[in-house]
Amino acid sequence: MIQNLIFTKEVNKSNTNFIPKLDIENIDLKEIIPEKLLRKDLVIPNVPEVEIVRHFVQLSNNNYGVDTGMYPLGSCTMKYNPKINEVVARLPHFSNIHPLQDENQGALEIIVELSTLLCEITGMDGFTLQPAAGAHGELTGLLLMKKYFEKYDPMKNKIIIPDSAHGTNPASAKMAGFSIIELQSNESGEVPLDQLEFAMKQGDVAGIMLTNPNTLGLFDRNILEITNIIHTYGGLCYYDGANLNPILGISRPRDMGFDIIHLNLHKTFSTPHGGGGPGSGPVGVIEKLIPFLPEPCLFTKKEGIICKEKNSDSIGRIKAFWGNFGVILRAYAYILALGERGLRNIGKVSVLNANYMRIKLREKYFLPYDRICQHEFVLSDKGIPNGVTTEDLAKRILDYGFYAPTIYFPLIVNGALMIEPTETESKSNLDKFIQIMFKIHDEAQNYPELLKSAPKNTPIGRLDAVTAARKPILKE
Amino acid sequence: MDFIPHDDDTIADMLKDLGINDILDLFKDIPKKLLNTEFDLPEAMSEPNLLKKISDISKKNKLYSSSFLGAGCYYHYIPSTVDFVISRSEFYTSYTPYQAEASQGYLQAMYEYQTIISRLTQMDISNASMYDGSTALAEAAIMSTIITNKSTILLIEGIHPEYIDVVKTYCWGQGINVKIIKEEDLYNEINEDISSVLIQSPNFFGDIIDMSLFSRKVRNLNPKCLIVQVMTDPSCLGILNPPGATDVDIFVAEGQSFGISPNFGGPGLGIFTAKEKFLRKMPGRLVGKTKELFGEQEGFLLTLQAREQHIRREKASSNICTNQALCALSALVYLLSVGKTGLKEIATQNVQKSDYLKKALVKIKGFKILNQRPTYNEFMIEVPNLKNLLIECKKNDLLPPLDISHYFPNMVNTALVCVTESNSRESLEKFINIAKIVSEVTTG
Repeated sequence: MIQNLIFTKEVNKSNTNFIPKLDIENIDLKEIIPEKLLRKDLVIPNVPEVEIVRHFVQLSNNNYGVDTGMYPLGSCTMKYNPKINEVVARLPHFSNIHPLQDENQGALEIIVELSTLLCEITGMDGFTLQPAAGAHGELTGLLLMKKYFEKYDPMKNKIIIPDSAHGTNPASAKMAGFSIIELQSNESGEVPLDQLEFAMKQGDVAGIMLTNPNTLGLFDRNILEITNIIHTYGGLCYYDGANLNPILGISRPRDMGFDIIHLNLHKTFSTPHGGGGPGSGPVGVIEKLIPFLPEPCLFTKKEGIICKEKNSDSIGRIKAFWGNFGVILRAYAYILALGERGLRNIGKVSVLNANYMRIKLREKYFLPYDRICQHEFVLSDKGIPNGVTTEDLAKRILDYGFYAPTIYFPLIVNGALMIEPTETESKSNLDKFIQIMFKIHDEAQNYPELLKSAPKNTPIGRLDAVTAARKPILKE
Repeated sequence: MDFIPHDDDTIADMLKDLGINDILDLFKDIPKKLLNTEFDLPEAMSEPNLLKKISDISKKNKLYSSSFLGAGCYYHYIPSTVDFVISRSEFYTSYTPYQAEASQGYLQAMYEYQTIISRLTQMDISNASMYDGSTALAEAAIMSTIITNKSTILLIEGIHPEYIDVVKTYCWGQGINVKIIKEEDLYNEINEDISSVLIQSPNFFGDIIDMSLFSRKVRNLNPKCLIVQVMTDPSCLGILNPPGATDVDIFVAEGQSFGISPNFGGPGLGIFTAKEKFLRKMPGRLVGKTKELFGEQEGFLLTLQAREQHIRREKASSNICTNQALCALSALVYLLSVGKTGLKEIATQNVQKSDYLKKALVKIKGFKILNQRPTYNEFMIEVPNLKNLLIECKKNDLLPPLDISHYFPNMVNTALVCVTESNSRESLEKFINIAKIVSEVTTG
């Protein structure tokens, strides 16, 4: 059941529970601010505290999180979010400090320490923790590229992006003023080297944006050749770290030949997704790109950590203050908690879990790229009978109390169903999910209506997205 | 610590199913020379050790009993209801609500957020939020150039300096010209090539701009030029004229004041609103209300995604693919908790208390208020010896006001003072006494 909107719970009684009592003389506002600048009316509701609390508890009951159950959303790395991180983020000496106060050495230490740890994990030489999300990191990384080539080779104004890339890649490249060359993946889901070389030979290509393992969950076996071709023609290699989880502790993007990388702390480093934010998208670079990092730049000196506000080569500021510090803090706690051994196990077990599901599910579902995968794999709707669609499958999965995989992405697989279990799911959860997928496959065969009319066990049935977009209702 | 549930036997069983002996066989696609890199990372820590270590680091930051610092990040009281709600892990451990039917709770909350923000601002539409105020302003600037197809924007002096820097960075990326001008030069600078004019009110120095007057001026000079207003502390909307009542086209704000801890400046909340006619050019997530496909019940979903990057790729209006959902939820719970009466009272106290301090400070020799216009909760003050004032504040456990030379090196002995409802009378008196002492020592 859907709850009534909070606006229906309004009462004609004000709630002053949260307002400090005025302890100075109560001067009439109009004596201080001219009346023409004051608003006439304000129509936000007064709702009793108990009703507010109940409302949101009920809404939370209508919402599925990782703490509810398995969340196999491909490319989103929905792993367990350790509770200690929430405690750490709420320590008052962190949560209550002002970004412009002087006595901030503890906060700066966290930023510098996390940067150092991320350098070690990825092999890069320097990091900025300013970007607020993965896509923001992409934009930052591409602006770095732009600035670099403005200085050294202004002809280079195009970016190569494979068709398996996340949609944010081309959008970010455009925001940084690049035009895009889309490269079609070859039959094994990898970058075609001949076309790559042909594009680079033209002389106007700044580099490549690559996700590796890619969105098919496949590690590109030619990665060293790819980065070599780019570098031969003076380009830079950008690593989209959305899929870093499987190679944590196994291999480092820098060693593959990448020059710029963004990470998603909310994926790989377990900070909660929060329903879509706040995240954090740090950007790491090799030595020669460090001067181009956004302001302010931090470095360590004998007297402590120093902040340099301006830097002539820098791309400038990309966000006010210091980045999403609350998120940075959680990721720092996570890395310290796991330590070297724990981090090394993440990659291994996330890949083990994905492959375990892959070999089981391919018994019933079509797996277009059938080889050992990394953290995720992509099924297709091919062979699903009775006109049952990928969306129908996804909605039916909800009926069985699991969240659905990512659907219709990547675009290069028809009716894609992209599954990423992560390392924090137990074998019994994986088995349960597999059994349900089998059962749904049988249902598609024998009772297709069950899928086409799903979901039934959720607070609401399938929604009409077409009318919603045609006649948008965005507020009460 | 370790968050992997498998024991060794389970791993062995799974490997057997896969027909391999060594887990590393799963990585045979990775060239050998890229495997098994050495890592120099610390040993794992248990929860108590970790908590001790990080608490110790936190103590290197100083917490003060009271603050006079604002400048884009504000100390307002946070109702206990806010942290209670955002700590529900059904909310904070969920993803962007792609599967609407399993995410109705969040979607409904975001719909309620959009509603309450559009009521507060009186703007037609609000999105489900952006990263923060600074990036929201940059996205607004870009959006204005998409709407008008012109590539120069004007920034009126008085926008937060860090916001200006962010706008410059974003605009450089897209080849948009940015010109920073004084308000009085608007007449000379505005022409038909201008896409939009960006203004902050209350501005960085505390001045409340008469936005009705400003909008009329812009419309008279160039009716096609868009008006973008930004705000760093929207708690003032409890009393001040909202942007929707002053003909603003796009209004953005930093929403940290609405129930979000300062957190060393992040995460914050980018409030983003516009007139309805610009809906399809708006960046960011939008939640819409609709009905069941096979029933009559109303529900909520992400809508108008055709604008967004995952469908439009390089043709999208922005690369943004998340909102700042948990912070938007904080703002919603905050605004509901204080309610209409409370928000008005909070805003009123901000004015009354900063006015109280202003009136006391001008009586002190050598102190001068620099604002020519009415102010909300921040004002600029010339101080006889600012360095001393800052030192004395710290000694007395007060977070001192901003030394404005941090951003404007030429402006010496000038401070931007912020007073909110969370400043008690006692803290104000303490500050006044410090000011008196500094004045006596310096001016004799």
